[in-house]
Amino acid sequence: MKRPLHLLANRDSLAGLAVVCVCAVAWWLTAGFDEVPAILSQNVPPTFFPRLVIGTAALLGGLLVVGGIRRRAGEAAGPANAEETSTPHDRARQAGLPPPVFWATAGLIATAGVLIPLVGTLLTLGLVAIALPLLWGERRVRLVIALALGLPGAIYVVFTVALGVRFPVGLVWNLL
Amino acid sequence: MEPSGLSIAFSLLTDPAVLGLIVAGTVAGVIIGALPGLSSSMGVALLLPFSLYLDPVPAIALLSALYCAGTFGGSITAVLINAPGAPPAVATAFDGYPMALKGEAGRALGIAAVSSVSGGIISVLTLLLAAPLLARIAYSFGPPEYFALGVFALSMLASIGAESPLKNLIGGCLGLLIATVGIDLTTGVERFTFGVPQLLEGVQFIPVLIGLFAVTELLNQARHLGRESVIAAMSALRLPSREDFRRVRSTILRSSGIGVFVGVLPAEGSTMAAMIGYNEAKRWSKAPEEFGKGSIEGVAGPEAANNAATGGAMVPTLALGIPGSATAAVILGGLQVQGLRPGPYLFEEQPTLLYGIFLAMLLANILFLFIGLFGAKVFSRISLVPRTFLWPTVFALCLVGAYGLNQSMVDVWIMIVSGLVGYILKRNGFGPAPIIMGIVLGGLIETSLAQSLIIFDQQWSGFLRQPIAAGLLVLAAVSVGGRPLRKFLGGLLARTAGTARRG
Repeated sequence: MKRPLHLLANRDSLAGLAVVCVCAVAWWLTAGFDEVPAILSQNVPPTFFPRLVIGTAALLGGLLVVGGIRRRAGEAAGPANAEETSTPHDRARQAGLPPPVFWATAGLIATAGVLIPLVGTLLTLGLVAIALPLLWGERRVRLVIALALGLPGAIYVVFTVALGVRFPVGLVWNLL
Repeated sequence: MEPSGLSIAFSLLTDPAVLGLIVAGTVAGVIIGALPGLSSSMGVALLLPFSLYLDPVPAIALLSALYCAGTFGGSITAVLINAPGAPPAVATAFDGYPMALKGEAGRALGIAAVSSVSGGIISVLTLLLAAPLLARIAYSFGPPEYFALGVFALSMLASIGAESPLKNLIGGCLGLLIATVGIDLTTGVERFTFGVPQLLEGVQFIPVLIGLFAVTELLNQARHLGRESVIAAMSALRLPSREDFRRVRSTILRSSGIGVFVGVLPAEGSTMAAMIGYNEAKRWSKAPEEFGKGSIEGVAGPEAANNAATGGAMVPTLALGIPGSATAAVILGGLQVQGLRPGPYLFEEQPTLLYGIFLAMLLANILFLFIGLFGAKVFSRISLVPRTFLWPTVFALCLVGAYGLNQSMVDVWIMIVSGLVGYILKRNGFGPAPIIMGIVLGGLIETSLAQSLIIFDQQWSGFLRQPIAAGLLVLAAVSVGGRPLRKFLGGLLARTAGTARRG
């Protein structure tokens, strides 16, 4: 027989627990909202709707936890039952962790956000156009260079010249 | 609506520049639909920041054209490489790809094109007739009815997609919570702004949208690098023969009806319509054993249904301000960003815009017949553009689109964070569509709830005294509780039967 903690170790229950935790934090944040006299808020204070939504989400999260535990307990009944009741996500989890290229891509996305104020949008786009293809295994260097030049160029023509969008030029260029 | 609205819209759409935009939107839609990983929702989300530089009529016409064409575009790769470009085309691959393997790719695409166009045109005509009627009914709606309608729309999230209904509902709640960020309009109190001045007006819809749809998919692609696609040979693409058309015409009509009905339901979109269309085509077929092996009815059913759902989804979007699908939610957001107020009053205030949307969708449906028939071979090649070049371009558009709206780096970070969080959520079974629905409906639900409670003097029972609101809330309860209740009763019956047998 499985111990209670083992019953919690399934994707739905963990997701449900995460939802409940996020709801707890969100509820705590609503406690910091400014208080308003009832006459001004007409008895519908600014915390009312967010708390209604948070409470509903927490309830649904709780149901997700219970559903996961029940499914896990059902799996303990036998392999045939387990196969029948496991969700697509439980099966997907068995596929393993994301490959290193995934983490590198996520890092590159975040780095792009950091780089824009430093080196400017167009240069950042050029760097992304070099880094992402190389990261994903592209070895046709000439095509990569063409993309790195063509993409920021096309963005500049369409957005800055035609639509008048001014992109940040970056701290580095301002200092030069 | 005044008849003059139609003539003004017609004259607007015959403007070469607007016509060019619709053609461009249709071509872009077919390309985006054909590219695996890019869906019409993502295409509309990426195009939305560009459309803000246009007047409302051409902007929304462009987005609507892309919506219609994107739904069809997915069938090209579904048939030729067994990789549906977009989720609504999944069912098309069941029989389209086996036909392609038998050397009938041209015939399959011909059937898909004609079925899509038929479904699309039927749905646009329905939109033309039903939307004003629904709007007329909605004139009598007050805050309680709008609140109930919003809750009903969210409750329908319980039945979309293959994921857990609970997770869809939690996603809807997350969207509602995001919509509360900013200054509360009733009291002027800041909520969840964390001292960031740019959040005082709330979280911008477009960066969240781009992050959830495009950046999330970019990360998904990064996880699945290395998958190769094999393109099926396509000799010549041809229109269905008279015999083929005779075999599929009733399937097209039936699936179009299903598609329009499913599309009109809030939150239900083309994917579900296509699945039901496929199942019904099989159920009514004289040769159900051919399904899965290359049945032309198996191609016609889902294709007519998924395109019929596009017009259907626009009915509640325009008439009530309640999105009929994820893509319709994006278009609804586009209308709001343009400063328009979707709902019954739109029919009085902006008849030209509405007729413009109808005509643009009609035109897009006719256009992609020709594009599908004569350009499918080219588009199938476009679908093989290396991901190593496609996705850096998509990411560049994400960055620029998120930044361009307010020229704010905060929006770029909102887009990036939405994408990263969206990926984690998606991996755990929380899709982006419910979150988007929640964000779009958040303002309407909160405002109408607050107004209703003030009207009812804080008595929730007041909702039950309003017949339409009460009816919608009952439907919402059935939508959410129906499936668990059936499961519970089924289990109870099984246990009772087991006890009786043992006894």
